[in-house]
Amino acid sequence: MEMLLMGVCLSLLGLAVAALAFNAATRPESSVTAPQPEVRPVQAVAAPRFFADAVIPAAAGPGGHPATPRVPIEALLLQIENHVRLEQAAAESFVEYPTAALLHSKTVSPFVN
Amino acid sequence: MYAEPDLLRGLDPEEVERALAFGTRITVGRGSELFHLGDPADRLFLVERGRIRLTLPMQVRGHQEDVLVEERNPGQTVGWSALIPPYRFTLTATAPLDTEVIALSREALQQHFAESPAVGYAIALNLASVIGQRLQLFQTMWLREMQRTVELRCA
Repeated sequence: MEMLLMGVCLSLLGLAVAALAFNAATRPESSVTAPQPEVRPVQAVAAPRFFADAVIPAAAGPGGHPATPRVPIEALLLQIENHVRLEQAAAESFVEYPTAALLHSKTVSPFVN
Repeated sequence: MYAEPDLLRGLDPEEVERALAFGTRITVGRGSELFHLGDPADRLFLVERGRIRLTLPMQVRGHQEDVLVEERNPGQTVGWSALIPPYRFTLTATAPLDTEVIALSREALQQHFAESPAVGYAIALNLASVIGQRLQLFQTMWLREMQRTVELRCA
């Protein structure tokens, strides 16, 4: 009788261990919340520019709008003067051979590009 | 003269000499003004040597700045407002380098035209050509600027 009870107890113990092992093996992984690395927004990378070594980021101006970099007045006047010369040359080309294509030819002036 | 003046084109050499004899040679130092916007215009000028910058005032960042409109080189005429009412200069003319011009007074030219109508006719045609070229250039430049404005508006 004692042997029988001992066998029953060992069987129950084995059944319990098997049930725990089965439960552990079939536990869904989603319930485990492993710590995730903090995701930071990647800053937009400016498109590569040729002939420009350094691109100065525009600082925020009043109202949250990006402030236009201030060009020295002398440089601005030179840009205007260069623009006038280029536009005059374009106009001379049109006056010499008047066509709609020459009239609306895109200017190469950096002042407006 | 180092270059044939566009105003006297088509005239006989003797007629050119006669017209230039009415003139007064003026040296304009580098950076000096030949005439100023709004000044009474009683003389026109033939550029003999150097260069003349024609400018108009523009507001740039709240300051008035003279902005280049045109440049005149040897052989070209400056200041035709002297022959066109209301006889006031509509631009400012300065010399970016030492420059020599021949000044022809309206009074002397009109007297010469009265005495030699054929010369007056030839010079009037040349003057019309100078004015017409500028008109064509500036209407073209104006339209190109307007086109850009339209494109910006419709963008």
